[in-house]
Amino acid sequence: MGLYITQQLVNAVSYGSILGLLAVGYTMIYGILGLINFAHGEVFMIGAFVCYLATSVYSMPLIYGAALALLASTGVGLLLQRYVYRPVIKRKAPLLTVFIASFAASIGLRHIMMMFYTDKRRAFPIPQIFEKMFLVGGVAIGLRDILIFVVTIVIMSVLTYFIRYSKVGIGMRAVSYDRSTAELVGVNSSKVTIVAFVIGSALAGLSGLAYGLSFGIVNPSMGVTPGLTAFIAAVLGGIGNVTGAMIGGFIIGIGEVLFVALLPASLSPLRPLFVWILLFVILFTKPSGLFKPNVKFEEIWE
Amino acid sequence: MLLELDNVATGYGKAQVLKDICLNVCQGEIVALLGANGAGKSTVLRCIAGMIQPWEGSIKFEDTDTQDLPPYALVAMGISYCPEGRNVFANLTVFENLKIGAYLINDTEQFEARLEWVYELFPRLKERRNQLSASLSGGEQQMLAIGRSLMSNPKLLMLDEPSLGVAPILVEAIYDRIEEINTSGTSILLVEQNVSLALEVANRAYVLEKGVICLEGTCDELRDNEHVKASYLGIA
Repeated sequence: MGLYITQQLVNAVSYGSILGLLAVGYTMIYGILGLINFAHGEVFMIGAFVCYLATSVYSMPLIYGAALALLASTGVGLLLQRYVYRPVIKRKAPLLTVFIASFAASIGLRHIMMMFYTDKRRAFPIPQIFEKMFLVGGVAIGLRDILIFVVTIVIMSVLTYFIRYSKVGIGMRAVSYDRSTAELVGVNSSKVTIVAFVIGSALAGLSGLAYGLSFGIVNPSMGVTPGLTAFIAAVLGGIGNVTGAMIGGFIIGIGEVLFVALLPASLSPLRPLFVWILLFVILFTKPSGLFKPNVKFEEIWE
Repeated sequence: MLLELDNVATGYGKAQVLKDICLNVCQGEIVALLGANGAGKSTVLRCIAGMIQPWEGSIKFEDTDTQDLPPYALVAMGISYCPEGRNVFANLTVFENLKIGAYLINDTEQFEARLEWVYELFPRLKERRNQLSASLSGGEQQMLAIGRSLMSNPKLLMLDEPSLGVAPILVEAIYDRIEEINTSGTSILLVEQNVSLALEVANRAYVLEKGVICLEGTCDELRDNEHVKASYLGIA
């Protein structure tokens, strides 16, 4: 049993990394604009899908595919900011309108991809080297899991440092807390918004790549479930708190895998239930999340 | 002339708040803007700071039209607005609040010098520099808000009700600092409900009633004005 659990934990680490990377974008964009970017899961999908197209269809090496994927997801994130969110926010549209615009962007992007490629599941080509396994005390650890985990930890540390100490990072936290006062001390909030979309979308693309490498499958609707799960991770971590979002991703990833591991095999389709139960527990017990949120909390409920 | 408002009118949505506002601040002055609650004092400051646009009229800062510029561009020109109600970033530490006040200052030495000066003005902030600003008292948060506005090295500091919600003993300390800030070369436009306090520190004052400037003059003139005496100073 101990070995089984350990193996499950190891398996959960890359899934937790994927959720953590994805959750950062939600939390940053929510913190700064007060909107839930429902199209964030599609940005994740674009990352994975572009890499699939580049490597599998146009037979490019993985490294070029990955670079293209990051460029594409960042580009899509910026387009969303420029042509979907900025116009509605500029017109001071009510929150519901922004919400619907966000849904429309999500469904639109997903269905454009379906129009071109159908929603058929496709095999993401995983280079042989990533399939390599190490046996440590009876537990198998895949090279790709190590890679994904290490990259995530490095990014998490750099990002935490950036948010904590850099001027733009402090500016981001200030804009999250109070946009108009931040402008009064000289912060250009449009610039900060763009930085948030660039970082969030690039990391969503990276998360999509990691997903492709881990699960080997891509399709246009692949972003829906991880997107919602990562959003809950962002809530768990305290909205607007980037480090919290990453940790929230790990907690949910590991929790979800253990939840399934501990249930009888016949109940394993209940896996998605875990995050929703967790969401209820958070909202009832500590709606501000585990870590300090970077928003005036009462504003969330206005 | 440092700041010059010419026939400014503005409001929120369709509701007009200000009408025909003509106001100026010269280099080195402390100018007070007085008036009752809801007279539109804060709206004047918000309009100068670029948070709302004037509907009519013009605003000039050092002879440059500023009415179409966003707030952060005005900070770069040397206008700093310290809003009402101790608007500190409660999620940031005292030091981080001051650091973000110097968002547009890229020179480390200049930043250090500003920081040192603000710490000298308000030693309490230095003691508490690593605390979350949410943990400060009302008066300390007001000091932090003023300190933060000073970090950008402004030519004009606009203070909105610096005595509001501050313990009386700290009000005095804050007003002493305001005079010290002015002596160091920063001009000040002060909004204050506590009229006798404002008339003590300012050189000149404007009285705003229902969105219109109804009186202006030196503080001595205003102190002797019958209307000011009756309506604002409580002297029958």
